[in-house]
Amino acid sequence: MKKYILRRILLGIIVLFGVIAITFTITRVIPSDPAAKWVGPRATHEQIQEARIELGLDQPYIIQFGKYISDLLHGDLGYSLRSHQPVATELKNYIPATVELVLLATLLAIILGIPLGIYSAKYKNRWLDHLSRLFSVGAVSLPTFWVALFLQLIFFSKLEILPLGGRISTNISIMYELPNITGMLLFDSLVTGKFMIFKDAFLHMILPGITVALYPIGLVARMTRSALLEILNEEYIVASRSYGLPEKTVLWIYALKNSLGPTSTVVALSVGYTLMNTFLVEAIFSWPGIGRYISDAVIGLDYPAIMGVTIFSAVVYLALNLIADIIIALDPRVRV
Amino acid sequence: MKIHMKRNLMLLLVMILLVSLAFSGCGGGTGNGDEEQQQPVSIAYYATNSEPILDWDPSVMFSNGIIVLNNIYETLLRYDAVNNEIIPVLAESYGKSDDSLVWTFNIRQGVKFHDGTDLNAEAVKYSIDRTMRINKGASYIWAAVKEINVVDEYTVEFVLNYPAPMDLIASTGYAAFIYSPASVTSDDSEWFSSGQECGTGPYMLQSQVPGDEVVLTKYEEYWSGWEGEHFDKVVIKKVTETSSRRQMIEKGEADVTINLPYEDVEAMKDNEDVTIELENSYINVASYFNTQKAPLDDKLVRQALSYAFPYDDVVEFVLGGYGTQGRGPVPKGLWGHGKTLKQYTYDLDKAKELLAEAGYPDGGFSLLYTYMSGDEEEKKTAQLYKAELAKIGVDLEIRGMPWDSQWEMSKGDPEGRQDMLVMYWWPDYPSPVSWLYNLYHSEEEPLFNLGYYSNEQVDALIEEADQKSASDIAEAEELFVQAQEIIVDEAPAIFQYDKINVWVENNTFKGHVPNPAYPNVVFFYNTYRGE
Repeated sequence: MKKYILRRILLGIIVLFGVIAITFTITRVIPSDPAAKWVGPRATHEQIQEARIELGLDQPYIIQFGKYISDLLHGDLGYSLRSHQPVATELKNYIPATVELVLLATLLAIILGIPLGIYSAKYKNRWLDHLSRLFSVGAVSLPTFWVALFLQLIFFSKLEILPLGGRISTNISIMYELPNITGMLLFDSLVTGKFMIFKDAFLHMILPGITVALYPIGLVARMTRSALLEILNEEYIVASRSYGLPEKTVLWIYALKNSLGPTSTVVALSVGYTLMNTFLVEAIFSWPGIGRYISDAVIGLDYPAIMGVTIFSAVVYLALNLIADIIIALDPRVRV
Repeated sequence: MKIHMKRNLMLLLVMILLVSLAFSGCGGGTGNGDEEQQQPVSIAYYATNSEPILDWDPSVMFSNGIIVLNNIYETLLRYDAVNNEIIPVLAESYGKSDDSLVWTFNIRQGVKFHDGTDLNAEAVKYSIDRTMRINKGASYIWAAVKEINVVDEYTVEFVLNYPAPMDLIASTGYAAFIYSPASVTSDDSEWFSSGQECGTGPYMLQSQVPGDEVVLTKYEEYWSGWEGEHFDKVVIKKVTETSSRRQMIEKGEADVTINLPYEDVEAMKDNEDVTIELENSYINVASYFNTQKAPLDDKLVRQALSYAFPYDDVVEFVLGGYGTQGRGPVPKGLWGHGKTLKQYTYDLDKAKELLAEAGYPDGGFSLLYTYMSGDEEEKKTAQLYKAELAKIGVDLEIRGMPWDSQWEMSKGDPEGRQDMLVMYWWPDYPSPVSWLYNLYHSEEEPLFNLGYYSNEQVDALIEEADQKSASDIAEAEELFVQAQEIIVDEAPAIFQYDKINVWVENNTFKGHVPNPAYPNVVFFYNTYRGE
């Protein structure tokens, strides 16, 4: 098992190196001048020349790449071309907001998706199942931006009960000092006992949270249902039932336990997808997370920032894959 | 089984009760701990479409951060574009030598920086010297300055290498800010990056969420005082989605926004809670011909293609009426704009005639036209133009490209360059020289003269006019117009349109007078909440 995990980690590092090398090369090949961007929109030739030396762009590609990797190993992701701030600091500012959203979506996927899948399997081909399947299919297939705008229109414009966007009401952010422990506002306000801030942050979280959670809820529900249906036909389930064990025990303990392997894998992988999904949702809900950061970086061809987010996303994906692999490996039926 | 269900139900009820108790107990601003009742404050809310500010260093910032910095920092002078006059700010008065080579500014007394120190001549010298040393952003506006001398505590003198309009330059919304040397002690931007500032402006930085929101609070010691109606706080927040910005204005959540799609502006026109304010901006759009490559090296062909451009359709259908056809390179509203310049009109017969004269009776050539991808206005304009050119036998390939790629292409090998390139332009300081020198003055290596236009007479006129603008604006204006007459005749570009900025405001938001010399800026000190 240890050997297996080590092998997976090693493989992950190789993949990560590949991602860095490819992204770095692409950013150097695209016709654009980072030095001009560094100086400003009306850079003169002299300014650009100075910036080229300052940024080390006058060095051969391989030396630039070597320096990038060496800096990276020291936790230095370079400076954003647009803001002139260290990319690592910027990521630190933006990541918690996104992580908060992704965690909420994942939590919802688990607490809503799994029971939905279980009931759907239990009442197979009955109205509850049809309804649940309709919801699951809808949840995975509705375009995110459409859901987001629709929710805003209903709950902000028409019903006026939920905020349009942002993480916190302007009045509150102006009048009170926001707690900052992890950067995740819900958690921080809760542990510091600032319930008014918690309430406001929670209300702001509802619409983006639902929008982001829809896909993983649908996915987890469908996965749980199909895994469970397969297991419910197994002989040991028939045997358990014939022993007269209560149906609840059979379903929630004997069957569910064995179906959780594939479901966990799906949950782990859907976190990665959810992360990408937030990129669009953040723009619509003015959510100051990493999604908005990367879209601005891409539009502005801010290479160090693009590299930073790419590396972050790759690390998250690799870690999730590793977790999924470990979950599978933990199943005694699987040989690794 | 039933007992289980009951127990679950009870648990759920208790949880709901707890959560609702927790929420109801802390509503209305009467919380616990440090959440005690606060005095009511008046807050202005500006929803922008880009990051409020990216670079906090006032010597370096050269983008939308102009909105934030112009409320925190001040310049020696300010240009009132509406009345075409210079307003004293940190300089109470100024004068110049007869040869316009020495400019003296008398610094206002009793002004305090946000760090509590006094403004004096030394601070002015330090700020501008530092901007020039760093040599980033718009620092090139000070290119004429040879040295800055402190004459006495409140007098500072700029000695120039050649005459330059220092009054206009010192009014620039970028790279002309004065800050406290007591706080800023080095040329690197680290002190600013850590979220600090040291201006003299009416507002101080209260807090920020980087890339998202900036909150400003009033500076009690502001030299102009706080009598009358003003906002206590200002929020400048990025709201990318246009539909969100519209809803925020409609619901009164935001006070002011800009850059909404024209369809939204039209739809909001009848809303009684909303005020639409139009501003003749200094932003204009032109497409530059590659004047070094056949067939566009022929003036007749360029004139023909200028006659084939559907000016009225673009203004009506692309801009929704919020723009005007360009008349020469300098936009309407700015001094030096040629009111009597020749204007090309949409006339396909004339275009065909000129093409025939140039030896292309049936057109028969293809051109590559590049525009900035993602810019709907540029894209639609390109499509309309393509359709018109097809009618005179010219095939236009239109290609959307990121600005950087487009720019790199145009600075590259002459044969590989695009035939036409669309570009916005706006001035760093309010002078026609920004357009004429950058876009039409000969360049050894292309930077922004992307039509590669070169005419010695035009060069001489631009240089002379620029120097004259230091001493005699009227004469400078005349020379600038003369240069434009030649440019318009030689048609190195199609002067597509001058943009009208549309400000959408909550109608309780009063006192805002848009000033095109400071794009997108609201000087919040002048605004207040009214009925």
